[in-house]
Amino acid sequence: MNIRLKHTGAALLAAALVLTACGGDDDDAGPAEPAASDEATATDTTDDTTPESTGDDTAEPSDDQPDLAGTTLTFWIMGDNSGAFEELVAPFTDETGIEVDVEAIPWENVNDRLTTAVASGDGPDVTQIGLSLLPTFLAGEALMDVSGMVADYPNLADSNFPSGVSQAALNPEGTVASFPWVSDTRVLFYRSDVLSEAGYDAPPATWDEIHEVAAALAERGGDEYGYYIPQWDAPLPISYVWQAGGDVIDDTGAIDLQTPEFEAAVDHYLAFHDQGVVPVNSDFDQALGFITGAAPMLVSGPYLEGAIRDQAPELDGAWGVTTVPAGVDNTSLFAGSNVGVWANSEHPEAALELINFLADPQTQLAWYEAVNELPAVTGALDELKAGDSETVSVYADQLANSRLLPLHPQWDAVGSEILNTLNSIALTGADRDTALADLYAAVESMTG
Amino acid sequence: MRDDRGTLPATKLRHRSAIRRRAVPYVFVGPALLLLLAFGVLPIVVAGFVSLTDLDIAGLANRDNVSFVGLENYRTLLSDGDFWRSIRVTLAFIVIGVPAIIAISLAIAFGLAQGTNRWFRALRTFYFLPAITAIVAISLVWGLLYNTQFGLLNYLLDSVGLPKVNWLSDPTVAKFSVGIVAVWRATGLNSIIFLAAIQNIPQEYYDAAALDGAGEWQKFRYVTFPLLRFALMFVTVTTLIAWLQFFDEPFVLTDGGPVGATTSVSLFIYREGFSRNQFGYASAGTVALFCLILVVTATQLRLFRRNDAS
Repeated sequence: MNIRLKHTGAALLAAALVLTACGGDDDDAGPAEPAASDEATATDTTDDTTPESTGDDTAEPSDDQPDLAGTTLTFWIMGDNSGAFEELVAPFTDETGIEVDVEAIPWENVNDRLTTAVASGDGPDVTQIGLSLLPTFLAGEALMDVSGMVADYPNLADSNFPSGVSQAALNPEGTVASFPWVSDTRVLFYRSDVLSEAGYDAPPATWDEIHEVAAALAERGGDEYGYYIPQWDAPLPISYVWQAGGDVIDDTGAIDLQTPEFEAAVDHYLAFHDQGVVPVNSDFDQALGFITGAAPMLVSGPYLEGAIRDQAPELDGAWGVTTVPAGVDNTSLFAGSNVGVWANSEHPEAALELINFLADPQTQLAWYEAVNELPAVTGALDELKAGDSETVSVYADQLANSRLLPLHPQWDAVGSEILNTLNSIALTGADRDTALADLYAAVESMTG
Repeated sequence: MRDDRGTLPATKLRHRSAIRRRAVPYVFVGPALLLLLAFGVLPIVVAGFVSLTDLDIAGLANRDNVSFVGLENYRTLLSDGDFWRSIRVTLAFIVIGVPAIIAISLAIAFGLAQGTNRWFRALRTFYFLPAITAIVAISLVWGLLYNTQFGLLNYLLDSVGLPKVNWLSDPTVAKFSVGIVAVWRATGLNSIIFLAAIQNIPQEYYDAAALDGAGEWQKFRYVTFPLLRFALMFVTVTTLIAWLQFFDEPFVLTDGGPVGATTSVSLFIYREGFSRNQFGYASAGTVALFCLILVVTATQLRLFRRNDAS
């Protein structure tokens, strides 16, 4: 009885999700959509392919790939770079005969598309995976474990990638489900002109120094601040824990916040508020704040560089980036995107061929040229570092000491609980110790 | 054929046409009923069922990961501080919003009813505009108005020497800021409903009241207002339901912040279900909200009915 109930329930929900998916599809059905359904009908005959059986199939014909030409892969790209991506893979299609159908998925729709694809079992062949969504992809069993096949693809060897995104770090279950594609990290942006006016010739390199400099800069008074903390930035407090030398995951893989390092991170976060050196309005615009000098120091990603160069080219030379200030360490967040083969893709070999192409340092550099997303392959990063851009070499340095957010399935909820707790202390005057005790209890009940 | 019919007894003929006549309403109601079943009743039943399981994204992928947990989700819900806060926030919104909408749209409708020339017709369109403006455009414009650094409102405050207000960042102020936008957005439609009701009141009543020496206020109090009873009931019930499901404005303006101060029950459910993929838990929230709306609406209807009777 129980089991039958389970099945009908899941089937009903799947049906409901498929219904909503039909509605939601309308706005983002790109040009790739009809092609994707063509492909689905063409391959209808091999209906019951499970991930395991495709794995077995591919083990046999490991001699050269004569049958891959003519294959069409569907590729989900997040955001609005699908045009550039089509250009990027054109040489791949010329060389291998494998067509790539690109479907663009707006970032805000990714979770919807993922859940509907998981419920209906109808996904792409290859997908981009924003690292913050990786736990969801893994929990949804949306990615194929390709550990048995990966040896044939030299660009996908673990040694090609920064240690922060090694396969061991990316796959808590010991599988090989995705490969780094583009990287992103957080560094300290500072206005060298404002700092030197206040008597500081170098950006702060430690926690103590940044508190001192921020306090001095906030002395300018009025609407001038020393630092900026985005109130929505859930990863920021976690990177403070790492900088304090701790972690939020214990040896057994469970979430553990009751450590001295976590408390140190909390105090570091709150100190900026206690000193009154950060703006408290949630709609503070960080790019504008940095350009006007209202927030002359802040931790942000390479995308801020683009905004500054676009909006305030005259500031060139008056600002810089450096690795984040260190508590005992200057670890930062490793963000970015991976690519992986969809769990029930019928073309895992062609898919890996494509991923292998994407991980080629030359492809990585071409993609950086096209859309300014940093490479995730050490070889490409080193080549960029050797170039003459100071900012890029800082990004590359920081990437070498950057970590992923925990890939724990509950992490999203825990992370936002942490952020809410910190903000309730900092912004609404909640008592620190009571709020932290509540947080620990809430996290316990969430994960217990 | 024609002969057959000619020989049919009159009673049988009458019987057949009676069946046909009785079937007519069902034929008309049928499609709407089917749609209601498919998109109204079925989802509620599904949600009720899912709320008894621990379905999440792993469960979507593989049914073995779904298990029946009984009332566990409801127990968690009742001990979830975030859920209770979202209930309190929603009630606060209702206390601000529902009376405001009824009073303001009634006042606007009364004003609009004073004339029928082109000027009044243009005004009617003007008041209706917010109701048909896309929520995204609304959030952009109001977000700019409310902006702490560059917003028009703070600019105006600043220019008369008053301190700036954190319209969307202060937990208390943000509730009002978001509520104002929702009130502004909802008054248009409700004004039109009141206006139609006011214009339906026969002139004779006013003439009679005037003969008895009633002033403008007495006409409104003893003629217009009582005769608006049904419009009032309709607007109150629909507005209250809309505010129990309050979602759009906090979603686009504050995303539930600051620190959860504008997270309504619907937003709470949305976050659990569509951001965190806790479908079982979110379904429990949905069922709870559904029951709340059911109780509130039933109470209201009973109250109105009792007033009618007395």
